[in-house]
Amino acid sequence: MSRGPAAIEVHGLRKSFSIPSVHRDTLRDHVLGLFRPRRFETLRVLDGVELEVARGETLAIMGRNGCGKSTLLKILCGIYRPDAGTVHVRGAVTPILELGLGWNPELDAIDNVLLIGTVMGLTLREARASIDSVLAFAELERFANLQLKHYSSGMASRLAYAIAFEAAREILILDEVFAVGDAGFRLRCEARYRELHARGHTVVLVSHEPRTVSTFCDRALLLEEGRVALSGTGPQVAEAYLARLAAERRDPAARTA
Amino acid sequence: MGASAITGLARQGPTDFPGLIWTIVRTDFKARYHGTLGGFLWALLKPAAMFVVLLCVFSFIFASDPDYRLNLLIGLFLWDFFAESTKVGVLSLHAKGFLLSKSRFPRWIMVATSSSNALITLTVFSGSLFVLLASSHRMPGPLSWLLYAVYLLHLYLMALGISLASSVLFLRYRDLNQVWEVVTQAGFFLAPIVYPLDILPERFHRLLYAWPPTPVIQNVRAVLVAGTVPSLRAHALLTLLTCAILAVGVAVYRRQAPRAAEYL
Repeated sequence: MSRGPAAIEVHGLRKSFSIPSVHRDTLRDHVLGLFRPRRFETLRVLDGVELEVARGETLAIMGRNGCGKSTLLKILCGIYRPDAGTVHVRGAVTPILELGLGWNPELDAIDNVLLIGTVMGLTLREARASIDSVLAFAELERFANLQLKHYSSGMASRLAYAIAFEAAREILILDEVFAVGDAGFRLRCEARYRELHARGHTVVLVSHEPRTVSTFCDRALLLEEGRVALSGTGPQVAEAYLARLAAERRDPAARTA
Repeated sequence: MGASAITGLARQGPTDFPGLIWTIVRTDFKARYHGTLGGFLWALLKPAAMFVVLLCVFSFIFASDPDYRLNLLIGLFLWDFFAESTKVGVLSLHAKGFLLSKSRFPRWIMVATSSSNALITLTVFSGSLFVLLASSHRMPGPLSWLLYAVYLLHLYLMALGISLASSVLFLRYRDLNQVWEVVTQAGFFLAPIVYPLDILPERFHRLLYAWPPTPVIQNVRAVLVAGTVPSLRAHALLTLLTCAILAVGVAVYRRQAPRAAEYL
């Protein structure tokens, strides 16, 4: 699989968040709480993550809620800064994080496509030219002039994927892909994904869906408590993930063990 | 805590910056004024109504000053730009949080473009002022208009400096906008808008000139109304004040911005 240097290389990645005992987010709270010290608890979200994604490869990341998947993706996209470790990203990234959000609710679909398209790296000319195909992909032509605040969450996520697939650059980072829309939309997403994969795009995706991981991914990781607990082929990791969930259901104490 | 290094970020995000900025400005205008000219004219009513009210009250007090009306008009619109752009500026990063937490791009663009609506209003005002002065045969020369443009640039940069600092701090202190509102309310009377600066004792002037809108308003009035050019020292002080505010704003911003997304 190795063709030149890896598209993404991560070594010893650590990230913690400091969680205060009392949340203060106004000046008033800070002034009134001046003589009442707070305790801070450190929440270690990523604790020495190692990973490598070869050019043109699709890597899936699985793991329970709170295992650090989203934080890892945000660091790869350059939105969060790591506390320690090295991250090398060799290529332009197109992120779709936490679907359904990322819109200006006061604007209609066309203006949102232009705004997000240019933020994601399209030129304004390309973004304008893509409007028709984006709306067609998301099957939202009839709602082109409707403000996003009147969209359902399903419609908004369909639009998000349609733009990201249009704007896709060398590396795609997807949170919960193929989890939205009806069967027809999912098939279109899968077809588009195969097309991008065939053209050599690198993909990192987070999924809870064993079928997605087994079918579409060259490799998969299982993330547990901020570390890579298992690395293997898609089916291997999907199976291990399901086995761990099942074990937990039988014995809830296993989770903390 | 060990060292961290991250490479490859320079290639992320937008490629067409003029296109991105144009899209932000256009959509902000559309969202604010419902995309109509009527909505925009409606927004101009606020400073215009303020002008009429203040004129009715204060022109009696300062009846001896023939230029009072013109000075009031200039002061009011420059003030309106400053107050409006800093008010929007405090919230600029938070308002665009929907983009900031989802993709990577230079966040200061959101702060710098947040005053675009106030800039459009100021441009319309400047055009009206041009017509007004031309029709009353008091047209200043090209040098005066050039200086006017330079002073507006200073005002924009000062508002930008304040917005850069306040927008990142707002993410941590969510009542900063209320504090700034109180500051601007007091600041309206601190700046010589409704009264001529000369009525205050000379020893206070130096202090009053440190409030950003004051030197700009005074200089604009000098070149456009009185027809004089402020001293070299007045220009040096204005430039110094602008640089100082911008430097503090950029420093606070650079310190806070890397973690901004974590507070959204």
